[in-house]
Amino acid sequence: MVIGLIVIVLLAFFGVLFVVGIYNALVTLRNRYKNAYAQIDVQLKRRYDLIPNLVETAKGYLAHERGTLEAVIAARNAAASANSRAAQNPGDASAMKELSGAENALTGTLGRLFAIAEAYPDLKANTTMMALMEELTSTENKVSFARQAYNDSVMAYNTRREVFPSNILAGMFNFAPAELFVIEAAEQREAPKVKF
Amino acid sequence: MDFFERQDKARRKTKLLVFYFVVAICLLILAAYAAVFAIFGRKEVYDSLGESSFTLWQGDLFFWSALGTLTVIAIGSLVKIHELASGGSAVAQMLDGRLVNSNTTEAHERKLLNVVEEMAIASGIPVPEVYLLENEAGINAFAAGHSTGDAAIGVTRGGIQMLSRDQLQGVIGHEFSHILNGDMRLNLRLMGLIFGILCLTVVGRVLLRTRGKKNPLPLLGLALIVIGFIGVFFGRLIQAAVSRQREFLADAASVQFTRNPDGLAGALKKIGGLESGSKLESPHAQEASHLFFANGLRSAVTGLMATHPPLEERIRALDPAFDGNFPEVTPEIVEPPPIPLAEPRRSQPPPLPPPLPVFPRSEAAGVGIIGTVVAAQALLPDVGRPTTRHLQYAADLRQSLPEALKSAARDPLGASALIYALLLSNDPAAREKQVADLATATSDPIVDETLTIWPATQNITVQAKIPLVDLALPALRQLSPAQFHEFRAAIRTLIECDRQIDLFEYMLQKIVLRHLEPNFLPVPKPVTQYYDLRPLAADCGVLLSAMAYAGQEDSAQAQAAFARGAQLLSRIAKSEIPFLPKVDCDLTRLDAALERLALSVPQIKKNVLNACAETIAADGILQGAEAELLRAIADSLDCPIPPFIPSPPV
Repeated sequence: MVIGLIVIVLLAFFGVLFVVGIYNALVTLRNRYKNAYAQIDVQLKRRYDLIPNLVETAKGYLAHERGTLEAVIAARNAAASANSRAAQNPGDASAMKELSGAENALTGTLGRLFAIAEAYPDLKANTTMMALMEELTSTENKVSFARQAYNDSVMAYNTRREVFPSNILAGMFNFAPAELFVIEAAEQREAPKVKF
Repeated sequence: MDFFERQDKARRKTKLLVFYFVVAICLLILAAYAAVFAIFGRKEVYDSLGESSFTLWQGDLFFWSALGTLTVIAIGSLVKIHELASGGSAVAQMLDGRLVNSNTTEAHERKLLNVVEEMAIASGIPVPEVYLLENEAGINAFAAGHSTGDAAIGVTRGGIQMLSRDQLQGVIGHEFSHILNGDMRLNLRLMGLIFGILCLTVVGRVLLRTRGKKNPLPLLGLALIVIGFIGVFFGRLIQAAVSRQREFLADAASVQFTRNPDGLAGALKKIGGLESGSKLESPHAQEASHLFFANGLRSAVTGLMATHPPLEERIRALDPAFDGNFPEVTPEIVEPPPIPLAEPRRSQPPPLPPPLPVFPRSEAAGVGIIGTVVAAQALLPDVGRPTTRHLQYAADLRQSLPEALKSAARDPLGASALIYALLLSNDPAAREKQVADLATATSDPIVDETLTIWPATQNITVQAKIPLVDLALPALRQLSPAQFHEFRAAIRTLIECDRQIDLFEYMLQKIVLRHLEPNFLPVPKPVTQYYDLRPLAADCGVLLSAMAYAGQEDSAQAQAAFARGAQLLSRIAKSEIPFLPKVDCDLTRLDAALERLALSVPQIKKNVLNACAETIAADGILQGAEAELLRAIADSLDCPIPPFIPSPPV
């Protein structure tokens, strides 16, 4: 009877330890993907800051392409607001989907702008334009790298959340699943087709 | 007392701490027994005459109360020690800290990071992780970690908003002195042990803060706090015994570092004048109270139980003219200095300068070529004790680094590319092969970035390389595990390329991986194994031989250099240090030797470093590159040497 009591007490203690361990692991992984989003946030903001400069520089040369330029600015504004919403709540499904959509749209309009700029050699030779485009490419590389790190952390969190003993506790403590940041590869670097 | 003696002292103090802890447990058990006795114990014992007597001692009750108390304490302590095993970041997360991004653009955070970066370069350690305690309005800071490699610094939001740059520098200098003194490891052990004692109260406090309708938890929390009060009492006694004296020393070290007592005094005065002072809201403040810069607890604790000396005393030690009146401070945010706009990157890389002539090292000392020189005797007293000169030098160095490299060091992609660029060979044929191998090991954007950065790395002095690595480490910690494995594999590819690898480059990558691996792999904590030099004689031989060959071309000169260093050690070890032929001190063996030497007591490391210095320096003078090599060796032994400030050529 005494032994039974000791066993029960010990089981209870180890049970508590187990729960605490799982809880802490989930909290750590959640913090990790939120921090990883912060890296993406910085690079996206940089990208959004570069775009108005780009449009200003191009405006002088592309006087007849105002439609495209305006589309770029609109897409940029939409993506910037989607990003600030996602930054408040990284991993939230609706915010991340909105951001993915906005980023895809922005990349699409930028692609059209660059395609059009191909036809204007003066614009292409402009040093400011070249510097900005190089910055933009470098920033996109950094976004992609940071996105990879973010998606890795989200996968680690989601996996841990869904694995057997932890999934019971995840529900109890309100650990919501996190959403990956996906950019559709097909549209991304589609080479503009030149039509004669 | 130098760095090594302080480390020894900190280790001895741990034993004192354990003694206090055991005493506290015994008293707690007695207290628990008393409580249990009061509730359950009035068993009246009727003896054969029918008269009742009252026994004070009841064996079985004592057994149960002792067992229960010990179980709670043991489990609490073990859980906490396990949690804290990951280093300073565990403490920061416990206090709800948010990691400050290395390429943040927010002005206050940038100001904080700049201060921390300068101090890290000046001390010769990797830039620690910096956390912001966002929910805290008071002014406070802490430093935690097991070693300089996994250190974390935390500052409250009130701190970064209300302190000027000088005052912030004073506070961070105080924290850095804790990092460099080996106090942190002691503090973490203390936290682990006393968590067991504080367990009940901490759980109670956390429960007290839960919200929700019809929630019985806060009541339970209150009950636990009341019971745990005894534990709190003893916990505070222990914390106070260990930490109070050290705070004065840390203040003094900070002033020595920044040479600006007004900064630190100003920060303390602001704390005194602010209504929320240095108080912390977090329920975990009690466990960590000995880690903080100033008293973080709400209750005014004075005398024996105070973890920090009184504010007035601390201020008077820095500013004797202080009259005791704290100027009223309204929570007004200090404007941060404006962040200079980053220069746009050039559209094409600047033309390569003509290649610098390569001086064979052994000749440079003799011929009248002006290189940066440092007297060999001036080296080691500076270990772990950076001064204002170093801080000024570090600030200037950081300023002079090319902007492209600095901004690259701050984001993960750029930082990886920077490290690859630093490991690329000078020889064009070898470099081509390295780039080709790199392209198979990592993705194209990284290779492109590496090639873009590479020209800038050719223009920096050798003194800038270790600081750049130190600056790049926070961003590298942000890599995901998969990215880290790719990074490590790529570095191995670069090193193992079919060429004569420079010893310094090898040490650079060793610094990077050594400080990065604990974040990604479960690395066992180093336990001191060697208390005597004799078992390490062979390892010293490998190390000194490698140093000798690195510095001298000619094998006779190498032997002479080796002899200079070895005579220091053989006297202490009372045995011969073997001089090895070149093939026997290759990089693998050197690596193994350094690993073993890193597990020795501080005094042994001091002697080994002295011997290395004697061997590397020809004619008692260190050239710039040799000084940096010594710094790199010292880093792998966990003894941070501040940057060498070149003395003007004679």
